[in-house]
Amino acid sequence: MRQTTMLFILIAGALSLALFSVKYHVQDLEDELANLNHSIKAEQQAIRVLKAEWSHLNNPERLRGLAKRHLGLDAVMPTQMQTFKSVSEQKGVSTP
Amino acid sequence: MTEKAPLSTQAESLVLSRDDTPRVHIEGTKKSAMETGRNRLLVTGMVVFMAFALVGGRLIAVVTSSPDTTKKTARTTAKPNVATRGEIVDRNGIILATSLPIASLYADPQEILNVDEAADKLSVILPSLSREEFRVKLSGKGRFVWLRRNLTPQQVYNINALGIPGISFEDGERRVFPHGRTASHLLGMTDVDGKGIAGIERYFDDALRQAGHRVQLSIDLRIQAILHQELSAAVTRFEALGAAGVILDAQTGEVAAMVSLPDFNPNNVGTMQGEAAFNRVTKGVYEMGSTFKLLTAAMALDSGKIKLEDRYDATKPIRIARFTIADYHPKNRWLSVPEILIYSSNIGSAKMALHLGGKMQKAYLRKLGLLRQLSVELPEVGTPLSPVPWRDINTMTISYGHGIAITPMQMVAAIATVVNGGYYLTPTLLKRDKPKPGGDVIQQVFSKKTSEKMRNLMRLVVARGTGRKAAVPGYRVGGKTGTAEKQGNGVYRKKALISSFVAAFPIEAPRYVLLVLVDEPKGNKSTYYYATGGWVAAPVIKKLVERIAPMVGIQPIHDGVTDKPNKSNVKKQNTAPVKAAFARKDVRAEERNGAR
Repeated sequence: MRQTTMLFILIAGALSLALFSVKYHVQDLEDELANLNHSIKAEQQAIRVLKAEWSHLNNPERLRGLAKRHLGLDAVMPTQMQTFKSVSEQKGVSTP
Repeated sequence: MTEKAPLSTQAESLVLSRDDTPRVHIEGTKKSAMETGRNRLLVTGMVVFMAFALVGGRLIAVVTSSPDTTKKTARTTAKPNVATRGEIVDRNGIILATSLPIASLYADPQEILNVDEAADKLSVILPSLSREEFRVKLSGKGRFVWLRRNLTPQQVYNINALGIPGISFEDGERRVFPHGRTASHLLGMTDVDGKGIAGIERYFDDALRQAGHRVQLSIDLRIQAILHQELSAAVTRFEALGAAGVILDAQTGEVAAMVSLPDFNPNNVGTMQGEAAFNRVTKGVYEMGSTFKLLTAAMALDSGKIKLEDRYDATKPIRIARFTIADYHPKNRWLSVPEILIYSSNIGSAKMALHLGGKMQKAYLRKLGLLRQLSVELPEVGTPLSPVPWRDINTMTISYGHGIAITPMQMVAAIATVVNGGYYLTPTLLKRDKPKPGGDVIQQVFSKKTSEKMRNLMRLVVARGTGRKAAVPGYRVGGKTGTAEKQGNGVYRKKALISSFVAAFPIEAPRYVLLVLVDEPKGNKSTYYYATGGWVAAPVIKKLVERIAPMVGIQPIHDGVTDKPNKSNVKKQNTAPVKAAFARKDVRAEERNGAR
């Protein structure tokens, strides 16, 4: 009789310990999950902001101004467009 | 338990022997009760054990649960921002409008402990509101007051650091247009609550409200930016009241760019008012002037009643009722159909239209969608004005674009029909594939042959006629100038003009149709004080083609004849009289007079 009682007390003790640790483990995981979800949201919003900024920075009129100011480049004129054929036909250029 | 001597009576059942240790003997009915109790204990014990075993088993199951269950939990909790309004992107996926998260500050005045202190601290962080303003707001009677919308993350952090009780933030979002004015009328605007109030934002408001819904437009931002820039430059150069520009894909009916000036900054609600809020491209109706002669010529040729070499008497102005129809550069002789276009003769057009007949003219205009409201994905759409009843005088004035008022977008769609092989395409602001003939967006109005003739005539106007300032070396541009006098108090005002140019390029197989319309330009020294379509709008077309064509990958032709008319075509279509009529002295005279 005594042995069975002891056995049950032991089992009950072990189970409650296990339950206790599992409960806290789950709580930790839940916290981690909430944190991750929060940072995912924050990242998603940051991505939206960055995409909008990227679009703003790529404004054609802005790029044109930058290219002109820093690189001295201008829009391609039709006269600057040539085919390989017309280039090779020009004097002094030998066709390889 | 040991048993001693047999017991007969209940009284003797309990015997305590002197030398023995006291023992309890339970016999008879009491014994059976004991047995029952023991059994019950056992059963109860078993039940309790089973229950614990169950809990233990479940515990193990939970701990060793499959990763699938965990994932499901994560997915259900990680919700993206549900309230986010959809993006608007151009045909290449570049963002034109998007919503960004912002925080708004509000307060519960009843919970503010020290109004003066709170007002002092807040006015330091939010300098746009003064201490007084904060004090008034914070000492109100209500339980809710907005302090400031659209805060930056840094401001939110600073305000949180103050630790003032009674103020909190509400997360919201703000509509952002990264390209500002570049596409203002097209995109429209949203109000402070994120509801579309104009343009695409309003037309697709319901769709955009659904989270993650994306609207892809037919607009090419690069072309849009070029159009915006060149049109703005023209408005500045000629001190014009405003301008409108449309570039339409002639093969699909997609709008590649549309600009209306003056415009507004959609990021700033305050800028959208008065003239700036008015969309000239789809809402404004204008008497288009001479560009209409293209339509008159196209319907005349298509009807079969009139041939290219037919001539009309333009020796003297037409007098009908109290009107006089005259030419700006009178030739005072008979003119062929190509000459009528090249010299932009009102008399010739009027006579050609009369020959065709008002009924037929009306039927063609109806098929070109010029007598009904335009259908396009914008809430701001104007209704054309056309005469009722349609008399001969109306037929004559409409032939050169007076007495009928249409939107620039309708004009472009009609000209696209003229040049693309005769198909009317409903213009659209949404990206679409090339429509096939027979669908509801496409309708054959002119024959392919008519279209080809018209392309050659348009080429002639640019190569040798009033539209020479639109010529681009390397590309064959075809088009027509238009100059209309604006009506004021029932009379046409000579000095207030609507100067326009409609063009298509490359004219042999048009990819884009362009319309530039400038409202009340003032001529300056560089234009010899002319403010006509040939002087004001044609140079804009030239710049547009020059910049757009290489960008969209159209190969220029450097054969030395591209700015002259295509000789073989001219011959094939028997326009020899045109060439004869084009003695150099005429051209020079034209230059002095200014292309009308």
